[in-house]
Amino acid sequence: MPISQTNQLPQNIRESRLEPLNFSVFHPKVLKPDTKPRALTFLYEEKDALRTFGVPKNVLFDFRLYQRPLSIVRDVTISTVDRLQTASGRSSASSRFVLEGASGSGKSYTLVQAVEYCYRSDWIVIYIPRAIKLVDSSTPYTYNTRTQTYIQYDAAFQILQRLLTVNRERIEGLTLESTAAYEHLKGLKAGMTLTSLIEMGLKDKTVVMDILAVVMEELGKQKSRPVLLAVDDFQALYQSSQYRDPNYQIIKSYHLSIPRLILEYASSKRQFARGAVVGAISTANPTYPLPLELSEALQITPPTPTGPWSKRSPTYIGYAAGLQPLHVPEQLQLSEAAVLFEVWMKHKTLHTDATDQLFLSKYTEASGNPRQFVHTGLLQTLET
Amino acid sequence: MSVLGCSRHVMKQASIYRAYATTTSYVPPAADISEAPSGPHQKLKPGSPSFYTGRQNYQDQIRGLESAANLSRLALKKMHLLPLPKFAESSLPPAQTAWKSKITLGGMIGEKLNTSRYRKVTSILNEIDELRRIAQAAGQQTLEESIADVVSMFEREDKETVLARGRRKPVKFDEWGRSYTVGKRKTSSARVWIIPVKAPPPPVSSEAGPMEAEDHAAEAEVTNEVTLGPNPNHSSEPPIPVTTSTILVNGSPLADYFQHPADRERIVRPFKIAGLLGAYNVFALVRGGGTTGQSGALSQGIAKGLAAHVPEVQEILRKSKLLRRDPRMVERKKTGRAKARKAYAWVKR
Repeated sequence: MPISQTNQLPQNIRESRLEPLNFSVFHPKVLKPDTKPRALTFLYEEKDALRTFGVPKNVLFDFRLYQRPLSIVRDVTISTVDRLQTASGRSSASSRFVLEGASGSGKSYTLVQAVEYCYRSDWIVIYIPRAIKLVDSSTPYTYNTRTQTYIQYDAAFQILQRLLTVNRERIEGLTLESTAAYEHLKGLKAGMTLTSLIEMGLKDKTVVMDILAVVMEELGKQKSRPVLLAVDDFQALYQSSQYRDPNYQIIKSYHLSIPRLILEYASSKRQFARGAVVGAISTANPTYPLPLELSEALQITPPTPTGPWSKRSPTYIGYAAGLQPLHVPEQLQLSEAAVLFEVWMKHKTLHTDATDQLFLSKYTEASGNPRQFVHTGLLQTLET
Repeated sequence: MSVLGCSRHVMKQASIYRAYATTTSYVPPAADISEAPSGPHQKLKPGSPSFYTGRQNYQDQIRGLESAANLSRLALKKMHLLPLPKFAESSLPPAQTAWKSKITLGGMIGEKLNTSRYRKVTSILNEIDELRRIAQAAGQQTLEESIADVVSMFEREDKETVLARGRRKPVKFDEWGRSYTVGKRKTSSARVWIIPVKAPPPPVSSEAGPMEAEDHAAEAEVTNEVTLGPNPNHSSEPPIPVTTSTILVNGSPLADYFQHPADRERIVRPFKIAGLLGAYNVFALVRGGGTTGQSGALSQGIAKGLAAHVPEVQEILRKSKLLRRDPRMVERKKTGRAKARKAYAWVKR
């Protein structure tokens, strides 16, 4: 059961003592280049992209604490939105970028904002908030001799189902033009709608991965709407997984079906005619640190000391080629921090008076880092 | 008769066995027979009456100093400054003396001094110096100067250096206006450099000329900073830009180096109490100990630096014990105990 549904009570056991806070809604029209930092709420309705695909764990934790899910629009949000606007008219081969930055700087939040922006701009959105789940051996897998990869049928089913739920209206007009490339799949007819194709795949788990690949291919051919493929925990796809083969050898991520698909789109071996591939690096799980090949492709200093004799896999270097870094600044600007402070103040979460001294002292202690400022600073302090 | 006869016999016997060395009689050596005074007997007078003490120079010096002391006391008595009441005595400024060493003083006097004689000299000098301080406190400049003339001969050349030992030296600023201070806690030490934050140029007001319209747009983009809003009573005042303090510890930002919120709060506390958050940037090198020791040392170093930059703040930092070197150290383990205080389980038998 997805985490968003596990521990929600069926009814409120107590009424909220908080008055409704009126923040504006996140919408592409509101995001202009000269926008000052502000807090914007997500609509977060049933069948919305964020609600259906889910969000990373740390973002979900914050959403539970807020009255309504919201985020702060920063300079990095505006620059990401600019890049997506440019990408909407071009092939995804020229718009593959990765959000990188220090731990707690806001990469996952920026990716969530990017997904919401694309969803509200009528893009076709495919969002994988926790790519670690694809490589940590938590879903079933089986070897497929045709593709010579390990098929993760449950994970493919989930992605396909969510894709349909979120983008149902947007893929209505799309049809399968020819079945020439898909001779391995039975039951395909030229002219069948993508919706019926997806429903066919959802009924039969033996073909669900193939259907997912076909759907992605068809979405890549169409030019009516741009397609966004967003992946958080992006670095987990560039290293060995925790799956093991029958000889108990570790399986590399490019031998797993879904990571392979994502890597091919990330390295422009497959493309969307219009759209972008956006990844976000995560530092939350130390089992999946930033690998050397990806750090060198993005021109980031690797976390551990390396040199010319460190082992680099040519396959991963190939999959990381052409990725552009999008740096998320380590420090919040003071105006952004002020907005964040106001959000928590209005939610009445501060245990002491909301003074300028509290704000400045917590900002100084956190060295401007967003996560340290909120979670270690404002929410954990006992100082008055 | 037989007794006498016996005694004569004893004496005769004694004369054979003599108990003395020489047989001839003793003649004392003639001293300076050639220089024997021709005239009536004349002796050379010694230079001073203390010649016969055997330590003429020392005794003369003591006499001289005592007479100087007596003269000074007399002068002060004439001015009704002696004897001082107790409250006046206790309120005199403390003695700040540094006399020459035993060897140097001995060389000056012309005689080797042992410890007790040196102490005698310095005790008289201390008395004279006390009289000088009384004259100084009373404002009698001429008397004070004349007493000081006597005493200054016996003071060390490097008196100021010796007196300055152990005193807190004033914090120095370098050519860029940085202060350098040191803080310590447990076994950690922190070297702290503090520099004032440069205030950004204030934004141009809306009543500026047409030439500066571009500057408005440029500054609106650049200064995307928090500013204190205009005072509703004085709306013509320009908004004040708010600056932030950057704290770097061993090259890393504060949040990277100290993970625990208590350590971070301890370091920012001097700024909060002084009310100088956002006014100064800090660069520090810490070494030794653990997180608590290093954060405590850094806190003391920062407090000292802030007190150097803004002396008005020293009082409040001193009262909040941030300038104090916390004397608590790890207590040693003792024999017969498991740890410093923990005892072993008591066994009845």
